[in-house]
Amino acid sequence: MLKTLLEAFALISTWEVVIAMFAASVYGLVIGSLPGLSATMATALLVPVTFYLSPIAAIATIVAASSMAIFSGDIPGALLRIPGTPASAAYADEAYAMTRKGQAELALGAGVWFSAVGGIAGVLSLMILAPPLAEVALSFSTFEYFWLALLGLMCATLVARSSPVKAIAGMFLGLLVSCIGIENPGGVPRFTFGITDLFGGIEPIPALVGVFAVAQVMRAMLTPEPPPLPRRKFGSIMAGQWMLTKKYHWQMTRGNIVGIIIGVLPGAGADMAAWVSYAMSKRFSKEPEKFGTGHVEGLVEAGASNNASIASGWVPSLLFGIPGDTIAAIAIGVLYMKGLNPGPTLFTEKASSMYAIYLMFIIANILMIPLGIAMIRVAAYILLAPRSAIMPIIMLCCAVGSFAIGNNMFGVVTVAAFGVIGYVMEANGYPVAAMVLGIVMGTMVEQAFVTSLIKSDGSILPFFERPGAAILAAMAIGALLWPVMVWVWRKVKPAQAAVATGG
Amino acid sequence: MRLPDSVTGSFLVVLGAASAYGGWLLPPVPGQPVGPNVFPLVIGIGLALCGLAIVFGIGHTFEEEEELIPLEDGLAAVAPPPQGKLQGKLYGLRALLPPALLLFYVVAADRLGFIITAAIIVYVTSTALGAKWKLALPLAALSPFAIHLIFGKLLRVPLPAGLLPTPW
Repeated sequence: MLKTLLEAFALISTWEVVIAMFAASVYGLVIGSLPGLSATMATALLVPVTFYLSPIAAIATIVAASSMAIFSGDIPGALLRIPGTPASAAYADEAYAMTRKGQAELALGAGVWFSAVGGIAGVLSLMILAPPLAEVALSFSTFEYFWLALLGLMCATLVARSSPVKAIAGMFLGLLVSCIGIENPGGVPRFTFGITDLFGGIEPIPALVGVFAVAQVMRAMLTPEPPPLPRRKFGSIMAGQWMLTKKYHWQMTRGNIVGIIIGVLPGAGADMAAWVSYAMSKRFSKEPEKFGTGHVEGLVEAGASNNASIASGWVPSLLFGIPGDTIAAIAIGVLYMKGLNPGPTLFTEKASSMYAIYLMFIIANILMIPLGIAMIRVAAYILLAPRSAIMPIIMLCCAVGSFAIGNNMFGVVTVAAFGVIGYVMEANGYPVAAMVLGIVMGTMVEQAFVTSLIKSDGSILPFFERPGAAILAAMAIGALLWPVMVWVWRKVKPAQAAVATGG
Repeated sequence: MRLPDSVTGSFLVVLGAASAYGGWLLPPVPGQPVGPNVFPLVIGIGLALCGLAIVFGIGHTFEEEEELIPLEDGLAAVAPPPQGKLQGKLYGLRALLPPALLLFYVVAADRLGFIITAAIIVYVTSTALGAKWKLALPLAALSPFAIHLIFGKLLRVPLPAGLLPTPW
């Protein structure tokens, strides 16, 4: 234990890792604070860079950039009422109300402080949960993997704040995309239409960049520019945070726990954690009437929650290769690329690398406090940069980054195509995150499904026979039926409709 | 680009049916009951069913209309888009500019080289987003070199040199 910990320290205390982490933190803070540029996009555009780094440095950049971006999404949320990332959307109204009451420091400070606390709680859960779960995971057969993957996909459709039917359709689209290529049980070219570039299938990363980055540039073409940030002097940002921690320690803990649970669930990530925690905070608050008028309580709980889910989202990613959210989906791609193939054996064979990941998460969350405060102070200047200067650079990064992934131009074509697909889907209420997870997990779902079918000789029964499989199957089917139950519930009790949507 | 649900739903039905049929046609693995054909078949059927449900408006009640958040204190966030004369039928097509520029990159980068192609992309995107030439021109002149420095020099991505090789 101590030896692996020392090894882990040695792994991360190289200049490459330190510089990579610092640079990625600043990058994550800047991208996260720009409205419209999400944490997922920040991470996706980093992937080409990680190609050229050592494994640990590559993961360091992902860890640092994603944690920072989730926090810094709070900044424009509080100052402009435009959430920088979807994960901040749940409480952007509340934070903006606080700013208007003259409590911008308190709102932003709560963002930094409780994000950092939540992040550390998430890491602790990762450290505590992962090894015992790895033991369980060792006994998993393809049946369990099939249900687990399906559960992940179903959770992804639940997260979407849109029609569940459209979300499921989006997921199917993603799975269909993953069918392309010759990586299938028969090894035959499938849906390639004779195009050799399609034989290798659609790479998830260019698809992600297209859906999240190019589609965003496309939307920018048609939407008016967000208003500039009024420049202001900030007082002390951390003042009063300790008092808040003492006053709302129970809310903070609850936010952490909810965030961890949602993060661990495959498919559900930071956005959902923030929405659920904010709703819970309001529900159980002693003074719910204050919510919406600039009350810090919900901010504490939701801020603690969304960052906790970032770290715990790595649990299913590392153990099963099933992403906890879209950021983790990218992380999995990087893990495979760097020879750290996800799976339960990772915790026994590459224990020092795992400890290095934990340590990097802790460092990133501690680093978040000073860097976050600095970022809040300079945010007004960064947000001065007009969109017409940022979007062209994003375009270039999309083109070069997608080219760099395979060193061929087909990647750029993929990015362009998925930009259009993402834009059209988003405009018509089809959640793109569900499609992305479908693309990432498609091959795995198919493999588990077909192998299971071959083993069971075409019978359905073995899919439910093993206890683990039965539990996971019940959860997956429950997730599928959940919208139906909500619908029935709403019919029965129309008065409580508002509460039902909150979940 | 907001299309009626009946259009997107019908498209999904057709796509699902096509992929199910396409999967059906794939050759099975000899001696095995399931092969590469099963998965597309299942997905295709699922997709077609979802499409049907969407056409009939099932689940529509769950959709939340996008709310436009009005800013207070006179900061009109929902300001009417400027340039009234651009508001024609063609205005919506502006959204297709980014993917078109990426395809332009695919076609032109090898011949023109990275720097020139990138400069054109930056200039066009920037102007389309409303930048004056005072901003767009220096941006187009400098940013390709910066990106080339990071990706081409530091990360060794083989970016095409074309007509204008970089000094390094």
